[in-house]
Amino acid sequence: MYPRWLWPLSALPGVVWLLVLFLLPFYAVVCVAFGSVDPILLTAQPAWNPSQWNAGWVNHVLQLLAPGNIYWDVFIRTCEYVILSLAGCIVVGYPVAYYIARHASRTKSLLLILLVLPFWISYLMRMLAWINLLSPGGYGLRFLSDTGISSLLYHAGVISDPSNYLGGESFTVILALIYGYIPYFILPLYASLDRIDRSHLEAARDLGASPFRAFWHVTLPLSKTGLLGGAVLITLPMFGDYYTPNIVSGAPSTSMIGNQIDLYFHGGPQPTIGAAITILLSAFLMILMGYYMWTIHRASREVPV
Amino acid sequence: MHPKERRFGATRREFLARSGGAALSLSTISGILAACSNSTTAGTAGTGAGGWPLGPGGIPLARPSHPVKMKRWEAPIPSGMQPETGGTFTIFNYPAYIDPAVIKAFGKKYGVTVKVTPFDDITTGVTKLASGTISPDVTEMTPDLLSRVVAGKLVKPLNLDYIPNLKNVWSGFQSPYYDVESRYGVPYTVYSTGIAYRTDQVKEDIPNLKPNPWDIFWHAQKYTGKTALLSEVRETIAMALLHRGITDLNTEKASLVNRAVKDLQELYSICNVKVGDLQYETIPENKAWLNQAWSGDMMAGYFYYLPNKQTGKVLRFWNPGYGKGPIGNDMWCVCSTSKKPVLAHLFLNYMLDNGVGYKNFVDFNGYQPPLNEIQPETLVSKGVIPQNLASCVLTESDFGPKALQEMTLTTAGQSLWQDGYATFQSGA
Repeated sequence: MYPRWLWPLSALPGVVWLLVLFLLPFYAVVCVAFGSVDPILLTAQPAWNPSQWNAGWVNHVLQLLAPGNIYWDVFIRTCEYVILSLAGCIVVGYPVAYYIARHASRTKSLLLILLVLPFWISYLMRMLAWINLLSPGGYGLRFLSDTGISSLLYHAGVISDPSNYLGGESFTVILALIYGYIPYFILPLYASLDRIDRSHLEAARDLGASPFRAFWHVTLPLSKTGLLGGAVLITLPMFGDYYTPNIVSGAPSTSMIGNQIDLYFHGGPQPTIGAAITILLSAFLMILMGYYMWTIHRASREVPV
Repeated sequence: MHPKERRFGATRREFLARSGGAALSLSTISGILAACSNSTTAGTAGTGAGGWPLGPGGIPLARPSHPVKMKRWEAPIPSGMQPETGGTFTIFNYPAYIDPAVIKAFGKKYGVTVKVTPFDDITTGVTKLASGTISPDVTEMTPDLLSRVVAGKLVKPLNLDYIPNLKNVWSGFQSPYYDVESRYGVPYTVYSTGIAYRTDQVKEDIPNLKPNPWDIFWHAQKYTGKTALLSEVRETIAMALLHRGITDLNTEKASLVNRAVKDLQELYSICNVKVGDLQYETIPENKAWLNQAWSGDMMAGYFYYLPNKQTGKVLRFWNPGYGKGPIGNDMWCVCSTSKKPVLAHLFLNYMLDNGVGYKNFVDFNGYQPPLNEIQPETLVSKGVIPQNLASCVLTESDFGPKALQEMTLTTAGQSLWQDGYATFQSGA
């Protein structure tokens, strides 16, 4: 018999970790957003006491987030990029995860190793590699030209210059986001698909369901939590991403909301605006997170014990 | 249900209803926010004698027409002291902006280990210095930020007895208008801002473009995706001001800055303009063809990033010339955190040595020190730089009283420029 306090105690390191490395820094960002700026050095002066909060900066950013204002445009662009990247991850990642979970038997371990292989190289380095691949004379650019993909994308209006993917193309930014984040999407999805009891599928087939109907009515619903988990895992960092568009594009026409945060935090007299955008973006992401938690909780209640 | 078991689950309808409630409650946030104070000023600006605007700490804004002699906030170190030895000597600087061989030789000469702590850009550097998380001995600095770091007591007043090599620099830099008597800093490099381009790709005769060579960016449809501006708040907007023929690069008139931003926004549709600071690499490597650039970029590009010799012949830098385009300089200051203030002074002196300055320039940096010994003709005749890049080399006359230098703004002015740049950067 274990003492009653043992299991709650085991959560202590995690709680301390969360407090020290998430809640405290997040509170600091909130205090910066509601704080002031040193008049000489222009550094942020957080207002630690909520009774002294100054809402001017947050109100200012809220106004600029209204339709037609600058943050609205960049926010909508960010949402478009994230949604399209997520769609790309699902289209590419689901079949991969499905194959590894359901059909790869002897090669499963090898494929899983290959999946985590990108983690051995830093995200930044992987993005920088694209610069060389897509530069004039780069293998990636040559491949896209030789296979006719560039021509196809150009005639479909997806890219404006088939010989210059690095010239500020939205397509390149979305492609880079998919490339950079897809391993984080596939792994939780694989875990979810791998856990599905094969007897459910067999039952569906025994009852006359076609392979597609069995997938649609059994596999897909049962992998919903994995899909959502993977989606949350990649969309949250994508919303704050600024270095991917910086590296593979550099054009203001492809900048994301993270670039605005970076700009204001990077120096100058208004770090408070950077903090205000950060907390408003977090508030928006909490709504998405809330939906995910609600779905997960409902799914866990529906699982028969 | 156990009383301790909270019901989290909800139907889709309930979830949507709650989300709607949350959305509605957002409107009440503004009510809550209204209860807080509502200020968006980062500092107060005032005026000094004769109505001249004051900058950080009440120090007047320095302009060539209004030289500023800053008060020493503490006494400089006494003369005649021996340099500190042993331990680490820390230089706070841009990455790859000083020759490792030069600093190694300095360390060897004075028996210290020299370490470079890099910053991304100077404004971030000042923020780091102000945070107190680092304690370097010397720091790179720019004139527009000098009064700020002096007012914040982040740099020490100098004792020029330790810096006799100051005589080697152009006379205008021995007592510059932004720091009369060189009380806080000595010059490091000089540069101008112009246009870097490749003649094998850009066919226009940019230096002779009428009415204004800066207009090339607004006629750059042919160079879509290969055109870029510097990712610098001041430089980018200043370029758009110059495009309109406005030479007051320190203006705080909202109408001028906002119109410059609108002009910059036109570049999205004209050439899908990019922003970045890698022109010293992208132009030689043919990744970019037309770029706003600093003069030192093309020299660094010529020295280190040429894929082949032929490319060196097609590189060009349009230097707007005296009073027609931005010029600037970087400096060295002694940090108030320095544990080796005597050695820090000697480092400043070392960097102004003719031999050291020249070596740092041609062997590594590409940015020119304002040393009397370095003459454009000599550099070209010696073959250090090719004739086609002679325009990258500056002379003392480029820094005369009518030179255009982006200098300190009031806090409100800085916010105006930063918001303008953010609008341009948003791609809106």
